[in-house]
Amino acid sequence: MILTSANTLENKKIIEYKGLVTGESLIGSNIYKDLFSGVRDVVGGRTSRYEDELEKAREIALRSMEEKAETLGANAIIGLKISYDNLGGTMGNTILVTAYGTAVKSE
Amino acid sequence: MALQSNLNNMNFREREVKITYLREAIFCIAFGTAVGLGVYGFFLYFHIDIFGWNLGLIFAPLAAGYAETILANKIIGEDIGAISAFILFIDTTFYSFILKNPTLGFNIITIGSIAIILQAAFPTLINYILLVGGLGTLSYFLGIFKRVTSYIKINLDYLYYKFIIKKPYKVEIETVSKFDEVASNLRLNNLDFYFITSTDILDRHHTNLGQFHATVIIEKDKRLVHANQKKVETTTLNTLKQAKDDCLIKLTESIKEAGGNCVVDLDIQYGLIGLGGDHYQVTAMGMGIYLS
Repeated sequence: MILTSANTLENKKIIEYKGLVTGESLIGSNIYKDLFSGVRDVVGGRTSRYEDELEKAREIALRSMEEKAETLGANAIIGLKISYDNLGGTMGNTILVTAYGTAVKSE
Repeated sequence: MALQSNLNNMNFREREVKITYLREAIFCIAFGTAVGLGVYGFFLYFHIDIFGWNLGLIFAPLAAGYAETILANKIIGEDIGAISAFILFIDTTFYSFILKNPTLGFNIITIGSIAIILQAAFPTLINYILLVGGLGTLSYFLGIFKRVTSYIKINLDYLYYKFIIKKPYKVEIETVSKFDEVASNLRLNNLDFYFITSTDILDRHHTNLGQFHATVIIEKDKRLVHANQKKVETTTLNTLKQAKDDCLIKLTESIKEAGGNCVVDLDIQYGLIGLGGDHYQVTAMGMGIYLS
């Protein structure tokens, strides 16, 4: 499955628009994660625990979207958009990750 | 006659004592205010700031109240309520937030200053409020006490049913809303309508109908007791997925009404709305077109 945020596929012609495909996942509250999120990594000031959680959530959303595209008979997704929205919750840690795009059939 | 004279003498002495007390109190307040102004001047002169906030805003009222209380204890034998701290607070707020930087207004620094002044005036009450407020805030953000109290409530209910009512405990099952992903996908893509997230539709002939929006607002789950936080999150996610579908269908209907059959550059946004963010808002927008 080809994923692209562009309008076209390089060197490939889009034969048919198959429809909209979406995928969502939610990161909820977690005492361990919330308490230790303040302890940043030694190098670079990054919080890898959160980064891992977000990556996992993004993967779930993308996989869900790809599965839907496959059921529609598509082999690519164009105009891909991924967004992260804070939905409040414990310490503002309820984060919704959404991925959506247009499923297409290409040559 | 003699009695009347004695009473007059006593009243005169009481008045004298009161005037002396007042004079000493005013002196202590003036001293505290002078110390506070000195401290504020010092912080201003040497630019002792954190993130652009002069620390004198906090330390000047604190120093004023402290100096006044120390002096009042020595001269009068009791503290007089850190009045100079209030005066300093008004002075510093007026100077900093109104004269120097009128756009800043009421903020966390002013709240901090008020808290310190009040603490100097009513230490026990304010310490109690700070402790209760602090623990309350911590429990709210970490959700620890909510979980503990939920656990206690469920167990107490169980014991109440078992030993007092002598009936089987009916657990209120928190139903997790179901969401059929496949059905949702088929439903959205069988509306005789094209959803395009990219910004053009290649070489296909079309007519632009304008920008279209659709919004769906749903209320958050407000129940305080949750036995299982994970179930709540699953329900929230499913509710949002359903709201997204409803929103897209709403968008479809408005474009169809305008004579369109497609939306390009489709954008879906999620957010919080309402007092304290107690509602979820889902918005779908894009350019409505007619594909011939």
